[in-house]
Amino acid sequence: MAMAQQASAITKAGALEWLGRLMEQAEVIAPVAGFGGDTVFSPLRSPAQIRWDFENPLHPPKQTLLPQTDPIVSIQRDGDCYEVLPIYDESPRVLFNIRSCDVKGIAFLERMHAADPPDASYLRRAERTAAISLSCVAPCASCFCICTDSGPFLRESYDIQLTDLGEDLFVEVGSKKGEALLAGSQDLFRAATEPELERRRELEESARRRFGEETCHFASAMRRISTGRVAEALWAKMSDWCLECGGCNLICPTCYCFSVKDRGSDGRLVRCRMWDSCQYPAFTLEASGHNPREQRKDRMKRRFFHKVSAQYYMRDGAIGCVGCGRCVKVCMGTTDMPAVVAAIRKGSWRG
Amino acid sequence: MLSVATTCPYCACGCGLYLLANRGELVGVAPSENHPVSQGRLCARGWSAHEAPSWGGRLRTPLIRKNGRSESASWSAAMDMLASEIGRLMHEGKAIGVLGSPRATNEENYLAGKLARAALGTSHLDFCLHSSFRPLMAGLEDVTGAYCGAASLADVEAADAILLMEGDLARAHPRAAYSVMRAVDRGARLITIGCASTQMARLSAVYLPAAPGCSGDVIDGLLGGVVAGGLEDRGSVSAWCDGYEALASALSPAEQTEQLRQAVEWIARANRATFLLAPSGASGEQLRRDAAAVASLAGITGHLDRQGSGIMLLLGRSNLRGACEMGVAAGRLPGYLPLADRSARDRLCSLWGKELAAGTGGDAESFIESVSGLIVVADDPASALPAGRRAQAAMEKMEFLVVLDAFVTAAVEMAHVVLPIASYAETDGTLTSLEGRVQRCRAAADPPGEARAGWQALAELCSRFGLSAPYRSSSEVLAEIGAAVPVYAPAGQAGEGWGGAFVGAVRKPKANVCASGSQPITYAEYPHVLAHEGVIDWGKDPLVAFSPTLNREHRSRARLNPQGLVEISKHDADQLGLRSGWHVRVESTFGDVVLPAVIRPELSAGVLLVPYAFRDHAAAVFAGRDMAAVKVERV
Repeated sequence: MAMAQQASAITKAGALEWLGRLMEQAEVIAPVAGFGGDTVFSPLRSPAQIRWDFENPLHPPKQTLLPQTDPIVSIQRDGDCYEVLPIYDESPRVLFNIRSCDVKGIAFLERMHAADPPDASYLRRAERTAAISLSCVAPCASCFCICTDSGPFLRESYDIQLTDLGEDLFVEVGSKKGEALLAGSQDLFRAATEPELERRRELEESARRRFGEETCHFASAMRRISTGRVAEALWAKMSDWCLECGGCNLICPTCYCFSVKDRGSDGRLVRCRMWDSCQYPAFTLEASGHNPREQRKDRMKRRFFHKVSAQYYMRDGAIGCVGCGRCVKVCMGTTDMPAVVAAIRKGSWRG
Repeated sequence: MLSVATTCPYCACGCGLYLLANRGELVGVAPSENHPVSQGRLCARGWSAHEAPSWGGRLRTPLIRKNGRSESASWSAAMDMLASEIGRLMHEGKAIGVLGSPRATNEENYLAGKLARAALGTSHLDFCLHSSFRPLMAGLEDVTGAYCGAASLADVEAADAILLMEGDLARAHPRAAYSVMRAVDRGARLITIGCASTQMARLSAVYLPAAPGCSGDVIDGLLGGVVAGGLEDRGSVSAWCDGYEALASALSPAEQTEQLRQAVEWIARANRATFLLAPSGASGEQLRRDAAAVASLAGITGHLDRQGSGIMLLLGRSNLRGACEMGVAAGRLPGYLPLADRSARDRLCSLWGKELAAGTGGDAESFIESVSGLIVVADDPASALPAGRRAQAAMEKMEFLVVLDAFVTAAVEMAHVVLPIASYAETDGTLTSLEGRVQRCRAAADPPGEARAGWQALAELCSRFGLSAPYRSSSEVLAEIGAAVPVYAPAGQAGEGWGGAFVGAVRKPKANVCASGSQPITYAEYPHVLAHEGVIDWGKDPLVAFSPTLNREHRSRARLNPQGLVEISKHDADQLGLRSGWHVRVESTFGDVVLPAVIRPELSAGVLLVPYAFRDHAAAVFAGRDMAAVKVERV
């Protein structure tokens, strides 16, 4: 079996040594203790900052690949002409200890930005970014990756997948980028043993079982949304429980919508891509003043159509949700993904 | 990437967030799961909090007006000119005014107050939005002795019954709306009073419609229901409330609708009830009576002195409470104490080493037209004061106008001297939330160009006018605030974590309960009520106006409606045979105006609203009043 052949193991002390070496080659970004008890993704200053037991940070690692404010073009006036140059960020980065859902989120963004026409600004940065994930042996309170085929353990999409065995980490390599991260540090790794492989399987099984019976029933919601069988009155009712904060979009690992704005003066401008939310009233506001989605219910309908409809599923090969549960935590109202999917399935809001 | 823990600068809920900076540029915002208020949630404004400071029209150097033109100058040249011109006005015995700001930090406001009262010797000291919230604070003070309620957002979330006197909570204070939603979701009974079936009204168990200025009747109806039903909390009434007998006899036994009866029952029988108050379009006097009546309702139902119950004032800007408590408020000393408070005056006098200015000064709206010199800290009077055009005209003919701001505003364009200061994202300081949390702002970037922290600029101004102001950091200013306003002392000692220290307002031992009562507003010939929609207009606030994400709607609305607009109910539009965009003539006894009408389906029949941003277009009809009885015809 492929996994057994490739699998290796490393002690946690060895992993810190490995991290130190990675930090010499790249900016290593990982969940660390933040301010006031928060856990946040941050560039490591020292390998000792690394944590093996943490709740997935609320602000997703998407920010590394698709920053909230992203300079993409520089525009410089030269007499009567303008010089327009693309801005590329090709700094090497390693995302360390990201969770399975976020790896899937990045794979989703990669597919989207690689589709015709390819987005070079995104792709060049992504090309230089590697992901080392830490599989989830215990799901977070609000997550449901098991319903979206994006965890708790990964079978694909990762560069390297680690599993915490206690003293040691089980290591699986899933890509060329992953292989490159091990090159030069082979001295720190050893082949995984058969009992370690068995232990990893047990951990995955037990993690899956811990999600319990409660699942999201995306399939039923998808059928209804895709065929227009969600009553307008239900959208209207649900939309009264949304405060249009846009948080669901901004923290969603698969949301990528943006607006473009120029910053600067005196003929030197930088065009920036900025996160935007389809839930903001002015997202679809046209220059004429007309707004095709003036009502909140129409914006909400649009959001879930993009996330959950069969039409987009066919295009993207996945639903627009990786089950990370962040929208549950960040929603200013009560219209997070599981709540709305449940309401659509039942045909009633909180009934 | 730098990630700096700070406090949201928009409404007064007091959410925490991280500002993200990359190579000195603000590039984003991240939520904090452990912040006690926001708990991972931010509204659209919070999520865009990095934008205005980095995209805005920023002031980078001091500016001096010479021969009608604004020119860059050095700090020392600007300070010299300021000191000599203000000094000249003082010497000539001319009046000088100072305006603080609900978007400035406590440290900035405190120093602005110190500058006015001790260094410049003036009592013309206020902030522009004060007039909108002052009546509500006065109403609460009349009854309880405290100008703020004691309810927290957590109390709202855990309440069994919530009475909401609306502006439009979902838009004005999303974080507070979230608490209400959570409570409703849990089964709490929400009662809303307002003139539109807003989002919150649609979630309510009972929506009690009341035209602007008429909420008093509804509150009196609730009071009457409590009295008539014998639902008062006897223990509280006897231990705690003066004037209950008079209140009971003053209420005419009006007929109780089923809705009103139900609402009364829910409030009276609730274990925990919270009362949320926001300014409506009513007159100041009416707002004061309404607030007093709501406080009385809370008092006689036992919810004033019960843990988990209480009143919350929905303050419209991040540091509106701080501006009040730093004493940049007409008629008030630091601590929001009355000007005549002898012990407070003595305390300040010994702390500042100067006698405090005598006189009462008047409020911003009145003194802006009488002073010869004006120092404005981080505000734009023309867009914030109700009489915007009059404020504009007054400033245009001001002998000497000084503006300290981070952003280019209309006031900056008129000023004789402009001092560029840091925005909230570039300075350390504290903001006081509507709950009374004194929380830290922390600098996430350097101020642009030669801009300095506001507390530094104001400290230098103080010393220019002969006051000792040797602060080395904003924390040293906060320490002095602790001495001037003792309830702020713990804020200076609070640790580094999220949340900050609490300040509270002291209540009287006994509440003076009373009913509201309202005057009839409309009459046969003028059957409609015209009022301002809300008093919190974000569109011209630089923190919104300079944010590319947040300003889109406001900008579009202003561009599409250069003549202004009036909102009209579906019912009235149908009566007139109107469609959205058609013009109507709105006429009061004072004057008339022709405006495009926009149909707003959720508005109550008989009510016409002019958005605050467009208030000057309808000035002829309002004639300086908060509302007017009008008739409407299609033109």
